[in-house]
Amino acid sequence: MNQNVLKRDCKELHAFPHIIEFAYKKNNTIQFDSLKRETSEFLRLYYVIDGRFDWIIDNQHHILYPGDLAVIFPGQSFGGEKDLLDIGTVSWLHLGLKLSPAGAMELGRWTRLNEGECRNIFKILLLNPTPVLPKVKEAATLFQTISTELLKQEIGFTARINQTIDELFILIARQLSRQNNARRDFPKSFLMLEESLRANLSHHWTVEEMAALVGLGITAFTEKVKNYTGFSPLNYLINIRISEAIKLLKRQDVNVTDIALDTGFYSSQHFATTFKKLTGYTPSEFRKKNITPTE
Amino acid sequence: MDCIVTIEIGTGAIRVTAFDMNSGLLGSSKGTYPTFHARPDYSEQDPEQIFITMLYILKNFLNEKIHPQKHNIVSICFSSAMHSVITIDKYGAPIGNAMVWSDNRAKLEAEDLKNSELGKSIYKVTGTPLHAMSPLNKITWLKNNDNERFQATRKFLSIKAYIIQQLTDEYVIDHSVASATGLLNIHKLKWEEDALQRAGITKQHLPELVSVLYSPKSLKKEYQTLLGLHDKIKIIVGSSDGCMATLGAGVWGDGKATITIEESGAVRVVGKEVIQDEKQRIFNYVLTEGNYVSGGPTNNAGSTFEWFAKQFGDFTRDYELEECIENLIIDAGKVSPGSEGLLFLPYLQGERAPIWNANARGVYFGLNIKHELKHFIRATIEGVLFAFFSIGKTLQEHRGFKSLSANGTYASYPLLTQIIADIFNLPVHIKMNSGSDSVACGGFLLSATEIGMYKSLDEAAQKVKLVANFHPDFHNHSTYMKYFEIFERLGVKLYDEFGAIARLQQDN
Repeated sequence: MNQNVLKRDCKELHAFPHIIEFAYKKNNTIQFDSLKRETSEFLRLYYVIDGRFDWIIDNQHHILYPGDLAVIFPGQSFGGEKDLLDIGTVSWLHLGLKLSPAGAMELGRWTRLNEGECRNIFKILLLNPTPVLPKVKEAATLFQTISTELLKQEIGFTARINQTIDELFILIARQLSRQNNARRDFPKSFLMLEESLRANLSHHWTVEEMAALVGLGITAFTEKVKNYTGFSPLNYLINIRISEAIKLLKRQDVNVTDIALDTGFYSSQHFATTFKKLTGYTPSEFRKKNITPTE
Repeated sequence: MDCIVTIEIGTGAIRVTAFDMNSGLLGSSKGTYPTFHARPDYSEQDPEQIFITMLYILKNFLNEKIHPQKHNIVSICFSSAMHSVITIDKYGAPIGNAMVWSDNRAKLEAEDLKNSELGKSIYKVTGTPLHAMSPLNKITWLKNNDNERFQATRKFLSIKAYIIQQLTDEYVIDHSVASATGLLNIHKLKWEEDALQRAGITKQHLPELVSVLYSPKSLKKEYQTLLGLHDKIKIIVGSSDGCMATLGAGVWGDGKATITIEESGAVRVVGKEVIQDEKQRIFNYVLTEGNYVSGGPTNNAGSTFEWFAKQFGDFTRDYELEECIENLIIDAGKVSPGSEGLLFLPYLQGERAPIWNANARGVYFGLNIKHELKHFIRATIEGVLFAFFSIGKTLQEHRGFKSLSANGTYASYPLLTQIIADIFNLPVHIKMNSGSDSVACGGFLLSATEIGMYKSLDEAAQKVKLVANFHPDFHNHSTYMKYFEIFERLGVKLYDEFGAIARLQQDN
């Protein structure tokens, strides 16, 4: 296997302004300061092919073995435990990200993943508590493909490389959501989902987003939620929205429009209609009639 | 056609069921809500979420199964899980979440009380074991550890009392749920002054005590309209789910006991007398005035099977958890009683009756080089059922029984039912397949008695059709007893070691 370390502005990367650095490196010697702890503003993916690597990621010590993949977000620090690169083979990709006007991370125009897919992938990545994914065997081929294509530059290499990076993201996201959940413990995954929904109730959640967080396809997810909770995913979400709204209505200090928006309704009209349908009261009637002084 | 509707507010789900007047099932519908664990000992639920789930499920159920058929609802009867606490402020709004039965934060308060003279006398009059589950200890915990919330609380309600208040505006608690609070004198059916004092409250802090047959005046107008219910429908506050399940299993009067195997489990008997256990191992809850359900609960029933299946089950072919459990049970059938010398203590979540030791932990004992996965499976099942037997044995020190009625999700696996029969050396009856669970059926019988269809609950309970499918095998029984003897000894012997390992686990 040829090894290479390609940095931005080198000729191999001309067609890829989003790739800041790509390497496929067999390291035979220990050099001091070869991997100093640094924070960067791009996304870094490190995949271990051979050897054992002692790294500090976001101030946590991790030991990586062959097949392990580390995902380091912009703003997180990363480096060798002794500030050096251990002996072994490792491949890495530094990728520039765009920030959407709302501050969310985006891949950029090169990707074939659509906007919703990208959003879900980053949501899954960000919710993941640990940056190291163990045993991602399929990633080996993907890093190798990128490396070979970059060196040979045969016809279609631009498309092939960008496509492979997309595949890498899909692989990571699927592996993460399966790892978090899977069929074994749907109640547990569902509780995690419920906590995410509640933590971000004003967001207009889609079924696709919810399914992605649990690591299931939309069809399987909908069926499982229905079986487990008795509700469709969107109706379950409405339950949570209305429960929170009731709590806020019982406090006198929040106005109804704010409650509507805080609990994820499009407008106070939308809130009022849904609330009335479920409880028999309009929000303001409910507020007036459900105060029962205990003394 | 006339019909009776029951609403169970369970630990994790609402279930609405409708019966025709011959106890035939017209339909049932379920909706779940989560239990949150903000800290290791905390188990909480969102009271508004429970309420809205109940409303939503009930409304859809009525609109799909009842109103289109023009069924006439005669009564609606509630039941609920025991031991929950909701704190209500001066405007009638909940402060924070509900603490549910499995909330363990009051364990020090419970232990402290249990070891005192006051504790002994409180157990005697209230019948509720002094455990973190009991609202007496939960409220004491709030007083000692969250005084701001305690001071702001005007009423301490149960989940059911809260739901009923939301629907009808009345603050009431039935004798049955009240008898599981540790605050009620179950002989006089009045709040017990010593217990209130211990918790730092007065009876003004509690809802008004009513019979399980009490009917609040009416549903609020808006809910009548929403649900399409007229104000002639009798709302019955009902009892706790444990008491309801006992009635619904047809266990009534002498010589019978019921064994319920859900996520957690219990063995129960019914009688006119309270059982006074010197060692405070047995609960006594009120079903109706003068009828007591006595028994012991275990923490580790279905939850243990589920734990085992998740860890060791085969999911490679896309099995669901239930399927996976079924496959494991098939493998357990391939091993002879006693699991060829492998024994399991199932105390993964500590244990309540009869050892009442929160520090107890799981143990596989007797492991040798020949044991395979299938032995572990069988040993796990036998260990869980040994725990039920040790509750039964404790009960039998006070009151004998000659037959068992088994109910709950896990009691319906024939292998398990047979092992129960063999271990207890008693015939085990299960309910004829009617499609409804025992709690709902108990709700039906209670309602039907209230409207005069049966003269008494005794007569109502006779109507439950049981079949004796499982007869004990004496040879198996004697094998089990040899293992049970070791099981029982280990549970006592390991007391100090359980404490030591629990402390280490706490530090992690």
